[in-house]
Amino acid sequence: MMRKFDPYPHVWRLPLLLWQGAFFVVPLVFMAALSFWLVKNYRMEPAFAFDNWERMLGRGAFWDAYWLTLLRACMAGVIASLIAFPASLFLAFHLTPQGRRFALLCLIVPFFTSFLVRAYAWQVILAESGPVNAVLGGLGLGPYTMLNSGFGAMVGYMTLVLPLVVIFQTWSLAAIEKSLIEAAANLGASPVRTLVSVIIPAAKTGLVLGAVFAFIMTFGDFVSPFYLGGSKPPTLTILIIDTTKSGQQWPRAAVVAIVMILTLFAVATAALKAAYGRRG
Amino acid sequence: MADPTTEPLVSFRSVHKAFGTYVAVKSLDLDIHRGEFIAFMGPSGCGKTTTLRMLAGLEAPTSGTITIGGKVMNDVPPHQRDTPLVWQSLALFPFLSVVENVEFGLRMRGVAPKERRDRAMLWLERMQLKGFETRRIDQLSGGQRQRVALARSLVTEPEMLLLDEPLSALDAHLVIRMQGVLTRLQKELGITFVYVTHSQSEAFAMADRVVIMGNGEIAQVGRPQEIFRGPKSRFVAEFVGRNNILGGTVKAGMLETAQGVVPVPAVRDGKAEIVVAADRVTVSGARPEGAAIRASFLSEEFAGTGIICYFETADGAEWKAQVTESQLATLQPESGQEFWLSWNANSAHVMGG
Repeated sequence: MMRKFDPYPHVWRLPLLLWQGAFFVVPLVFMAALSFWLVKNYRMEPAFAFDNWERMLGRGAFWDAYWLTLLRACMAGVIASLIAFPASLFLAFHLTPQGRRFALLCLIVPFFTSFLVRAYAWQVILAESGPVNAVLGGLGLGPYTMLNSGFGAMVGYMTLVLPLVVIFQTWSLAAIEKSLIEAAANLGASPVRTLVSVIIPAAKTGLVLGAVFAFIMTFGDFVSPFYLGGSKPPTLTILIIDTTKSGQQWPRAAVVAIVMILTLFAVATAALKAAYGRRG
Repeated sequence: MADPTTEPLVSFRSVHKAFGTYVAVKSLDLDIHRGEFIAFMGPSGCGKTTTLRMLAGLEAPTSGTITIGGKVMNDVPPHQRDTPLVWQSLALFPFLSVVENVEFGLRMRGVAPKERRDRAMLWLERMQLKGFETRRIDQLSGGQRQRVALARSLVTEPEMLLLDEPLSALDAHLVIRMQGVLTRLQKELGITFVYVTHSQSEAFAMADRVVIMGNGEIAQVGRPQEIFRGPKSRFVAEFVGRNNILGGTVKAGMLETAQGVVPVPAVRDGKAEIVVAADRVTVSGARPEGAAIRASFLSEEFAGTGIICYFETADGAEWKAQVTESQLATLQPESGQEFWLSWNANSAHVMGG
């Protein structure tokens, strides 16, 4: 049977499609094309050459940055999940729904200030003569160099991602049907085994999504490695900045960006499969 | 069948449970015997589910003691008890397969993988779920889930099974079938079933003994027939069955009521209320001999096994009478038409007697 064409739902889709087309797909295609251009006398010229790809992917420095960024993003996903989990358990199971709503609101408040401002705040706190070292010094420890290191960058990453990870985890934990947890105890599971055998599997989707968001945000973050990590060794984001600054090499920066996008696509796809996947 | 002469399996002794200022269960005293099918029945909020949850250790009594098998259980956490519960929502684990759900209790008790799989498979077979073991819970029908929940609770071979309105989510025809499954299972296993329901048909059909609860207290305990024919209070009479209640003063074997004077079974003089079940009321146009009152016809309702006619007495009380289809055809009642409602004086039950 022929269905009459109904424009109504399509009208509502149109703005989103236009927006995504104009500001995501088109720039992406342009960037992909850009990666094949050449730079001559500090000026970009349209071309279809593999020079940029060969130069970037053939360089050890690129792969050092790639693996460093990947490692840090993985670590941030794991560390953020581990730090967030006890807090999320508390928010999900030991607060009234009103208390939980208030706590989640508080978790959104950090987003009211620019992340750059929060990174600067950490520069003060973590400085050699900052409050953290002052406290540690009082205990006869340090002073430690915390800025311009992997540690400093990680503090920045956590500042960026922790509220979001807690929100994801709390939502998924609070959504677990209470009778499932009671049923686990009823069938002989101690509180620890209930956590491992029932609560974590039941909240899996939110836990995985929280970790993936931490990974994605860390992978593409420029502020933490630059202002708190000392930009050495460089991450991919810093590599992009450096590349564009040195001799207008936008095409080579485009190569880095495309590799990043492909990596994120691969990770996000695998993670979504893990999050929503069915156990065999 | 239960043997009341042996030591009870469960004893409640002046058990109170309060949630803040709300008292859910008040001074509960009750013994549950080994091998008995006992049903707690009452309207929502009557304390029946709280009582069951206290047995499972999911709620702690505010005061009083609960013993199971002679041991005081007040401070024993749920996971150290052997009191599996079948939830109203079934509470099956959606991230585990059917057989993994059934194995769960054995896994928590440290039974070896091979043995627990074998035992779980036996129960799946017993519950006619063979071939479904690798399915996910959301791939099963309501009745199948019900049986998975039963298998999961029974696989550890407990002495007692707790059931919290397990059939309330099922279609009517499945309820009848599951009632048969449950009673047969209880007889075969010989273990104690503690069943909570708001449905009197479920409680009466399955239980050896029924506990009627209201406002956190036991209103009456007894065999289904005893409770059905002999409610002790107005609350029970109104909650159970289709009963008519007539109040008045007894003088020399006659009850003086606003509806007139009717004979009653032997009872001492004074205030009394009698219960006349709807199926024991005869409707007639002319005044019959014996116990009868006058009432005007309101409406009728088809109830499957008969027709329930509703009447109103002169002082506004509602009366119900169960008639057959042919009786209704003969009576041809019209709204507002007056009839005589009569009953055998000895079939009336005197409350509190």
